[in-house]
Amino acid sequence: MRVTVISPEHAVFDGEAEAVVAPAYDGEVGILPRHAPFLTLLGSGRLTVRTAGETKAFGVEGGFLQVVNDVVRVVAERADVE
Amino acid sequence: MAKTRELRRRIRSIEKTRQITKTMEMVATSRLKRAQDRVVAARPYAQALADVLGDLYEPSLGERFPLLRAVPGPPRRVAVLGITSNRGLCGAFNANLIREIQSRALALEAGGCHVELHLVGRKGIGFFRFLGREITGQRQDIGDRPTLAHATELVTPLMTRFAAGELDAVEVVFAKFVSPLSTPPTVLPVLPIRRPADRTGRERNAAANAIIRPSVDELLATILPQYVRNQMFRALVETAAAEQGARRTAMKNATDSAGEMIDTLRRTFNRARQAQITQEIAEIVGGSEALRG
Repeated sequence: MRVTVISPEHAVFDGEAEAVVAPAYDGEVGILPRHAPFLTLLGSGRLTVRTAGETKAFGVEGGFLQVVNDVVRVVAERADVE
Repeated sequence: MAKTRELRRRIRSIEKTRQITKTMEMVATSRLKRAQDRVVAARPYAQALADVLGDLYEPSLGERFPLLRAVPGPPRRVAVLGITSNRGLCGAFNANLIREIQSRALALEAGGCHVELHLVGRKGIGFFRFLGREITGQRQDIGDRPTLAHATELVTPLMTRFAAGELDAVEVVFAKFVSPLSTPPTVLPVLPIRRPADRTGRERNAAANAIIRPSVDELLATILPQYVRNQMFRALVETAAAEQGARRTAMKNATDSAGEMIDTLRRTFNRARQAQITQEIAEIVGGSEALRG
C-alpha cells in the first residue's frame, strides 16, 4: 500500500509500505494493506511506517489519518523525522 | 575635455549600479528557487485537507459549525488581511498588492460594510498609514520563510471573532504564485469556509463509506480550523515566493537597462574623444602650416 506522511511544509514520507502504526486520538491504530476506508483523528505521539527494508519513525501531532483505496495519508500539523 | 571627463564619471557610476542590481538579481534567483520549492512542497497537505473536507462536507453542516456559516445578504463587518513584502526594489509587486487591497476595501465599503484592515509587510503598512487609514492589525516580522506558526498567529484571532459573530467574512489579499513571471494579486475568501472542489466520483464513494472515528462532527471541529490556518499559510508562502520572482524580474530589467545606458554613453564618449583628437590634429596642422608661411 502507498503511504504518505504530510506536514504543512512538505511531504515527510511518500512510498510503499507494509504496515503503519499511528497515534490516534484514543490510542494506537495499526494499518495493514487492504484496510477498509477509514478516517480518524490523530493525537500526538510516534508514527511508525514499516517498509520492505526498514522501519521509519516520525513524531506527529494533530491532524488526521485517512485510508482510501489502499492509500494511507497521514496529514499532521507537525510531522518530524525521528 | 570637460565633457569627456563628465561622461567617464557617469559610465563608472552606472557600471557600479549595474554591479549591484546584477548581484541582487542573483540573490533573488537563488532565494526564488528555495521559495518556489516551499510552495510546491506545501501542495500535498493542502490537497489532502481539501479532499477530506470535500468528503465530509454537507450543506446542513453550516448550522452546527460557525466557521461554515455564511451570513445571508451582504456582509456588514469584514476583515481584509492584506499581505505585502517588507522590502522594496521588486518592481510593481507591492504597488499591485496595495491597489488590490484598496480596491477590495473600497468595493466592500461601497456596499455599506465596515472594513477592518489587517496588514502584513512594511510596504503595505507604510502606504495605508500615509493615507491615514485605520489599521486594525499589523505584522512586519514575517520574512522570507513564513511558518505555520505565523499563519496561526494571524488567523486564529480572526477565526475566534468570526465564530463569535463579530465578523461576517474574512478575506486575504495575497500574490498568487502562478509562475515567477506571473504573480497576480488575488482575493481569497477564507471565512466562511467554502466547499473545496469535489474529487472524482469513485474515490468520493469509497471515502463516504469509510469508518469514521470518533465522529464526523469531532473530525470537522479539528479539520476546519486546520484548513483555515493552512489557507493562510499558503497565502504567506506564495506571496514570499512571488516577491522573489518579482524582484528577480525587476533587477534583471534594471541590469539590462544599465547595460544599454553604458553602451550609449560609451558611444557618445568615444565620439567626443575622437572629435577632440581630430580637432587637436587640425590645430597642429594649422599651426605648422602657418609657421611654414
